[in-house]
Amino acid sequence: MKILIIEDDKSVRDDMMELLRNASYEVFIIEEFNNVLDQIININPDLVLLDINIPNMNGEMVLEKLRKISSVPVIMVTSKNTISDEVLSMGYGADDYVTKPYNPTILLLRINSILRRINNVSEIVKYKDAIVNIKKGTINYCNKEIILTKNEMIILGFMLSHKGVIVTRDELMTDLWDNNEYINDNALTVNISRLRSKLESIGLQDVIETRKGQGYILL
Amino acid sequence: MKFLSFVKSKCLFLSISFFMYFVVLLLLFAFKVDISLIIAFTVLFISVNIINLLIEYFSKRKFYNQLINNVDKLDKSYLVLETLKEPNFYEGKLLYNSLYEINKSMNENVMEFSRQVSDFKNYIEMWIHEVKIPLASCMLKLHNNRDKLNENMMLQLNRIDDYLEQVLYYVRSENASKDYFISKVNLEKCVNSVLVKNKDYLLDMDIILDVRNVDFEVYTDAKWFMFIINQILNNSIKYKGKNSIIKIYAIRNPSNVVLIIEDNGIGISSADLPRVFEKSFTGSNGRDNVKSTGMGLFIVKNLCDKLGHNIEIKSVQGEYTRVEISLSDNNFYDEVR
Repeated sequence: MKILIIEDDKSVRDDMMELLRNASYEVFIIEEFNNVLDQIININPDLVLLDINIPNMNGEMVLEKLRKISSVPVIMVTSKNTISDEVLSMGYGADDYVTKPYNPTILLLRINSILRRINNVSEIVKYKDAIVNIKKGTINYCNKEIILTKNEMIILGFMLSHKGVIVTRDELMTDLWDNNEYINDNALTVNISRLRSKLESIGLQDVIETRKGQGYILL
Repeated sequence: MKFLSFVKSKCLFLSISFFMYFVVLLLLFAFKVDISLIIAFTVLFISVNIINLLIEYFSKRKFYNQLINNVDKLDKSYLVLETLKEPNFYEGKLLYNSLYEINKSMNENVMEFSRQVSDFKNYIEMWIHEVKIPLASCMLKLHNNRDKLNENMMLQLNRIDDYLEQVLYYVRSENASKDYFISKVNLEKCVNSVLVKNKDYLLDMDIILDVRNVDFEVYTDAKWFMFIINQILNNSIKYKGKNSIIKIYAIRNPSNVVLIIEDNGIGISSADLPRVFEKSFTGSNGRDNVKSTGMGLFIVKNLCDKLGHNIEIKSVQGEYTRVEISLSDNNFYDEVR
């Protein structure tokens, strides 16, 4: 997945780049703000993070012009959190809107959910011959079916969209909270171990590995 | 303007003129003038004086009474000059012109100050937006190199952000209502994003959340309302008790939706309770526990007033604090549009 960062503050830009690289996205940046539009077209990203206050043409104008030629998803980033900005950028067709300073985990979550929505990830995901129905909260494997609770499904869903990547406890927790499940640290541990034993009960053994001090990984 | 007082103020003039009258009277007697002439002179003298007094009194009374009455009646008494006609007697003209000049210089003075205040507010707003850039950079840096110490620093950065927001909304709530926009907003989404924002703080403080029944559509400004919830939630965290639980729920009434945020924290004493919305009021909680500026709830009340929400706080010290915000859910705004 290619993400383009359009941000004029070098420090923020570099940090954002590192954040997204760590989350295993392919990151592009713009350092010359003379012909932003051409650069966007040349790079052809899957998603654009667009700051409102950039030199020459401001972010809103960039978005307005971009929308005439492309439907690439855009997240507007700004430190000005006045409503007029929001109305404007939504009117111009931004897909989401975050204000500085943003919680990096939440930013990643927003990016992930937009990319998932755009790529039309279906509610039924295949994982090692198992069929996971995210909406119904069921897994079918070798003619056996288990039902997951909402929390367990959120955890598994997040891991499925980050298959083979370490997910931190904080990311899982943020995703749960984002889905109105306000659980604490102990409850997260309990939910993960319950999810593991449920997966084991249908024969999916040791699919979630613990990486000490880092998080979990779905193999 | 009272006639007697007016006459008293003319005391000197009258006594001089009566003194002259007696001098003339003595002269007339000395020259043995006919008594009827003396009587005629006396009548003439007195009536001229009275007529003089009356004419002066009535012409002045009209102007001064209007001035006094209007000063009394106007709630902005400095505007009184606009309601008066220029008088036709000399002293009145002097007064009128002086008032005009005084007004003008006062206006210039007030203008100068209001310009300074609005310049300062603009600068503060700009400055906050500027500060948020390095703040964002810090948060990203911490996130990219995280360990236990960093989580704590992240919390502190979040606190800085909260304080910055407070100043921003203070500046805005005092300004003319220019940057809020009332629309249909999902209550659950507002509550959720505030909770997610405060996730680390809540977890760090071991607070159990009980959120239910908040999925309603209400009419408000999402940004302002989220700031309001954030302030109230932060108070609940700040003044928490043991085994703390924060309950958030909403009640649907025929004409409004009431959002309730209730904690089992240290509560507010009944003496402090009526004053919590006052500017800079810290109360015993603010003094004893945590340093408090006493601005949070003042700003919250201000914003609620502007948005047309009613906010009430009920509390029993040592037991609970319950904040109730009632939001309109009628389609008045839709109909207007």
